[in-house]
Amino acid sequence: MSAEALAPGTGPGPGPRALARQRRRRSAARFWQQYRTHRAGLVGLAALVLFALLALTAPLTAGSGVSGVTDAPGAPLEAPSGHFPLGTDRFGRDLLGLLVWGSRVSLLVGLLAAVLSVAIGAVVGITAGHFKGTYATVVMRVTDWFLVMPTLVLAIALATVMSRSLGTVVLAIGVTSWPTTARLVRAQTLAVESRPYIERATALGGGHWHVMTRHVLPNVMPLVLAQTTLMVSSSILSEATLAFLGLGDPTVVSWGGLLQDAREAGAVSAGDWWYLLPPGIAIALVALAFTLCGRAVESVLNPRLGANR
Amino acid sequence: MSTQEHDGTEALRTPGPSSPIRRLASAAAVLALGAGLAGPLGPAPARAEAAPAGRTLTVAVAQSVDSLSPFLAVRLVSTSILRLTYEYLTDYDPGDAHPVPGLATSWKPSADKLTWTYTIRSDATWSDGQKVTANDAAWTFDKMMTDQGAATANGSFVSNFREVSAPSPTRLVIKLKKPQATMTALDVPIVPEHIWKNVKDFSKFNNNSTFPVVGDGPFTLTDYKPDSYVRLKANKSFWRGAPKFDQLVFKYYKDQDAAVAALRKGEVSFVAGSPSLTPAQAASLKGDKNIRVNDAPGRRFYAIATNPGARAKNGQKFGDGAPSLLDERVRHALFLAVDRKAIVDKVFQGHAVEGQGYIPPRFSTYFWKPDGSQALGYDPTKAGQLLDQAGYKKNSDGRRVGKDGKPLNYRVLCHATDPNDKAVGQYLKEWWGKLGIGMTLDCLDNVTDPWLAGKYDLAFDGWSVNPDPDFVLSIHTCGALPATPKDTGATDNFICDKTYDDLYAKQLAEYDPTRRADLVKQTESRLYDLGYMNVMAYPNAVEAYRTDQIKSIETMPKAAGNIYGQDGYWSWWSAVPTASGPSSGGSSSTGLVIGIAAAVVVAAGAGLLIARRRGATADDRE
Repeated sequence: MSAEALAPGTGPGPGPRALARQRRRRSAARFWQQYRTHRAGLVGLAALVLFALLALTAPLTAGSGVSGVTDAPGAPLEAPSGHFPLGTDRFGRDLLGLLVWGSRVSLLVGLLAAVLSVAIGAVVGITAGHFKGTYATVVMRVTDWFLVMPTLVLAIALATVMSRSLGTVVLAIGVTSWPTTARLVRAQTLAVESRPYIERATALGGGHWHVMTRHVLPNVMPLVLAQTTLMVSSSILSEATLAFLGLGDPTVVSWGGLLQDAREAGAVSAGDWWYLLPPGIAIALVALAFTLCGRAVESVLNPRLGANR
Repeated sequence: MSTQEHDGTEALRTPGPSSPIRRLASAAAVLALGAGLAGPLGPAPARAEAAPAGRTLTVAVAQSVDSLSPFLAVRLVSTSILRLTYEYLTDYDPGDAHPVPGLATSWKPSADKLTWTYTIRSDATWSDGQKVTANDAAWTFDKMMTDQGAATANGSFVSNFREVSAPSPTRLVIKLKKPQATMTALDVPIVPEHIWKNVKDFSKFNNNSTFPVVGDGPFTLTDYKPDSYVRLKANKSFWRGAPKFDQLVFKYYKDQDAAVAALRKGEVSFVAGSPSLTPAQAASLKGDKNIRVNDAPGRRFYAIATNPGARAKNGQKFGDGAPSLLDERVRHALFLAVDRKAIVDKVFQGHAVEGQGYIPPRFSTYFWKPDGSQALGYDPTKAGQLLDQAGYKKNSDGRRVGKDGKPLNYRVLCHATDPNDKAVGQYLKEWWGKLGIGMTLDCLDNVTDPWLAGKYDLAFDGWSVNPDPDFVLSIHTCGALPATPKDTGATDNFICDKTYDDLYAKQLAEYDPTRRADLVKQTESRLYDLGYMNVMAYPNAVEAYRTDQIKSIETMPKAAGNIYGQDGYWSWWSAVPTASGPSSGGSSSTGLVIGIAAAVVVAAGAGLLIARRRGATADDRE
């Protein structure tokens, strides 16, 4: 794989860009072939596609009016019925609609936070692995500090001091959950940089930027991708946790926010299960789906993990 | 088995926000175990200590005690406890709240209205055996007049006192600067001079160093652990008669659902809720055989307060309230767009009364409501017209634009701990959105800081009203403003209006009850017209107790009244224990248990998967 990453020299036949395109197509096909062999991964992928469709089509199916409280169609806390398949919430809103609508926020925040977290982790990991020396020591000590800090406590602290909005939640999760990625990426970077072709590239005049972006990054990319997929599930859980603890924007509908609403309305002691279970199960399912996908991607991209666990 | 079960219940009760996410997996597994075990077994036999050497009344509370010093405490839970430990000069009748003898058996103003003479009873003793005398009362008032630290909580009662003296152990004489109508409603705990004279700094002393605390009320404070419990012992020699329960314990349940579960199990006898049980909880408790839900008109009002431009007594302005709110038409327009009936029906689900004037209808003497033309009923069209008149026209996006050309957007301060604030906030956002006004709901755990700094536009506000309305009226006078922006004043939201102040002063000086009531109503009317305090509802007190532990308990007012947070010690003093031992409750809904167990199993499964995956990759990755 590392050899492929080296750009081939120019020659007769198709140009370098076309070659690269071909190669990418081939490797994508190979990837899909191997991915298909992971049944759990396929199930996860199917679930994800389903959830993504649900979230994207929510304006058509549920409609943006579903979160409005002033024109809520039902009475507060109605049990499931033909009219409201999942009952109503404390405002009399349709819970099925809210569940569908809430998937948008949960997925969006989960994805953005995961991307932010992995981006920070990758930059820190690659630079620390590449530059070594004092810089690496300092950066890795900072990473260690973040690693030992309980993530949730840090996120709560951040979410408390900043204004309550979706951006804050994304930031709070992203900024606190990157250290694992940084450690992983740094280890991979060290492994890549110890290979002889990096030495050759340096000897041929490749600078820091060239080595990091052209040689190290493509090699750690599979790891980063797999890590992102896995991170999404924990980010969704974090988002739900923060919203449940009342640190999200109370006017935005999300799954964790629904749970928080249910708790505040006293649905737990009143036994209104339809208010509590669906968002909880939805969170668990999406997290599970991302985890299944992440594992499958990981084992395809990293043959050393062994086949088809 | 028993230990596992214990773990299970413990885990259920701990609202684990402090544990990192990754540990949730194992916690969920423990929970699943606990739920699985607890389900078929029914409620845990946690009533082992229920047959102790006395009958104990346990009350579930959520509010933290701010101080046990009567000179500092202002929170409802603390003042309620202090009311049980220290007797006041006068009490309020549980029936109709007229003043009845407390420490004072009789009282009389002089002809010039400036001197009040109280006769102090001779049959009251402190819990250390010493007699309660007029000297104790005189010393307490004198301390509050001379020591700034001792005036923190109740200083407003004595600010008009010129001199307090005790010519004899049974006679207390108070000389006033100006006539004061609240002299039979001095809600000041009288403390024993022989104990309190040793206190050095009244602004720091919290009265929690030595137990039992020497007092003369129906109960004696014997033990206190912050955010855990407050324990009181019955005062058998209380002059009005000994309480029927031997012990009274205020136990902390930060989570209201946990408190309700404890009531179902019989671990507590009474749940007050903070501030009251939710409609769903009340409805589900009503079905239980041994539980009685008390749903009574409350003594609170629930309002939106407007920032009228925060300022101090020295004239200095501070804070950053929206300038557009200084226009009365805008304030009225905002309130005209609030459908109070919907709030009562939807958010409180009938457990409240629609808001009118400032003082709740429960205090019928002082209750005032606006009539026809003065009333700001729900009328969005008129609200829009008012805003147009005031010059806040809609722009092309349908948003109202301020004088500076920017769209109007108000920050509304809300208590993150109060579910009603958040719920009502969502309604306000939509109602005002239709008017073309944006709104940001700032839900904070600590609203005090921005509030005192005047850094808000609108805020959710509410006060418990006493039988005498003087205090809740006084917090809107110019005199209550902070001395400088750095100080803390008694003011609620910086209202300062000349007309209001004049009316307030008049009612305070009026000794004739009918004429005073009339003046109080005029004061309320003025406050209503100003539009700085818009009362949306008077929430009911929704509370519940176990009838197999408490046979009877007095509400205040007797007909339909609350139990927790009364203006007096009547409820706990009058509570009669049920003769037979309490039967164990435990009719929990099986469906919910199964549901929760299922959810937990699913969550645990997902958690375990993640945990396993993480474990695996940690080994496998390089």
